[in-house]
Amino acid sequence: MDLVLAFELGLVAAVAAILGSMLGLGGGVFLVPILTLFFGIDQKLAIGASAIVVVTNSVVGSSVHLRSHFVNMRLAMLLQVSTAAGAIAGALFGVSADPAIVFAVFGAVLVYAALSMALRREAHGASITFGTPDRLRLGALFRDPATDAEVSYIPARMPLGMGIGAGAGVISGMLGVGGGVVLVPAMNLLMKVPVKAAVGTSSFMVGITSVATAFVFYSQGKIDPTIVVPAIVGVFAGGQIGSRLTRRLRARRLSALFAAILLYLGASLLLRAAGVTLPGQR
Amino acid sequence: MSDPHPAAPPLLTAPPEDVEADRLTDQMPALSESLRRRYDELAPLHRAAIAVLTWGFRIGAALLTLGLIFSLIRREALNTVSEPFADVLPGVLRGDPAGVVDLAILWFMVTPVITVIVVGLGFLRLKDYRYAALSLLVLAVLGASIWLALD
Repeated sequence: MDLVLAFELGLVAAVAAILGSMLGLGGGVFLVPILTLFFGIDQKLAIGASAIVVVTNSVVGSSVHLRSHFVNMRLAMLLQVSTAAGAIAGALFGVSADPAIVFAVFGAVLVYAALSMALRREAHGASITFGTPDRLRLGALFRDPATDAEVSYIPARMPLGMGIGAGAGVISGMLGVGGGVVLVPAMNLLMKVPVKAAVGTSSFMVGITSVATAFVFYSQGKIDPTIVVPAIVGVFAGGQIGSRLTRRLRARRLSALFAAILLYLGASLLLRAAGVTLPGQR
Repeated sequence: MSDPHPAAPPLLTAPPEDVEADRLTDQMPALSESLRRRYDELAPLHRAAIAVLTWGFRIGAALLTLGLIFSLIRREALNTVSEPFADVLPGVLRGDPAGVVDLAILWFMVTPVITVIVVGLGFLRLKDYRYAALSLLVLAVLGASIWLALD
């Protein structure tokens, strides 16, 4: 293994994880575009590496969310059926798809993420709607450490949530990202799950979703340990730094900058899909 | 002469939504109590999942470190493609650094699968058969991806 390249990959993965954890998006959203656009790494190998990194990140990160009871286990299992199935379909398509199509879809997802970040709004207020039937026993509560108050909620619109979960799975499988970029806003804005529970549940789910992706890419020989190992080390270190920075800096104050980075990466991928390579990219 | 449209008794003049709000406010403590019971009931299941994830990460990180140390000691480069499943274990038994690194990667991939098994068993223990069955369904979907990988 080229140690200089391994160090560079680890550093890039750490930066991707810092940005991802500050935004609650996971590292894959930044990792795949940077590896493909700036390192010239084969798109499928970058996606395979990202899927493994997402799994590792979820294994580490979801313990913290589980301790705080931010993970709604019943909701996760219910949504996971369609999300994991979507991930297999997405991965089977993505592993053999024309790279231009994958670049175009990835670019569109990043532009969507940038715009939704710039226009971000959050479902506020008591999430619980008394009188809402809880036939599926999905209602839950957790103690919010920021306010020391109990937050109770009953997720709404489950059929819609499962449909969106399948879509998030397809995107996750095709692009090697966790799918949190779709799941968190869907749970919060459409299903009325408080944002902390949405992030915690999504963090637990994306690890399971990405397992489905990772096995498909593994079977196709698209897992390169010389990329995966530095990426895992970098993402682990970056995730730790990112979670500490998030407490100190207010990520939202930087959201315009992050939205601009996502928009640049998204536009670069869309241009790459059209055969255009921007200066400084490979 | 009596009023042909007498005023309705006060209770009936209240807007229906207020009556509903009162009725629901009465339900709030009971619902909150029910969610609190659910919180306590799921706590062991959360603890079990945390244990699997924590040990999953520790074992994976140890294997990865071991593989990298072997690689440095023996001055052997890592493979640029992971070995097929069938070749990983023999590689590990030979003390092959690439085999140990592949095992670490596979271990990280298997950890969430073990977590789903533990969560499913937890629901079974709670006699929550619906979510035990759903966990089994998730396992079946993951099993399909593993089967695709082995095929």
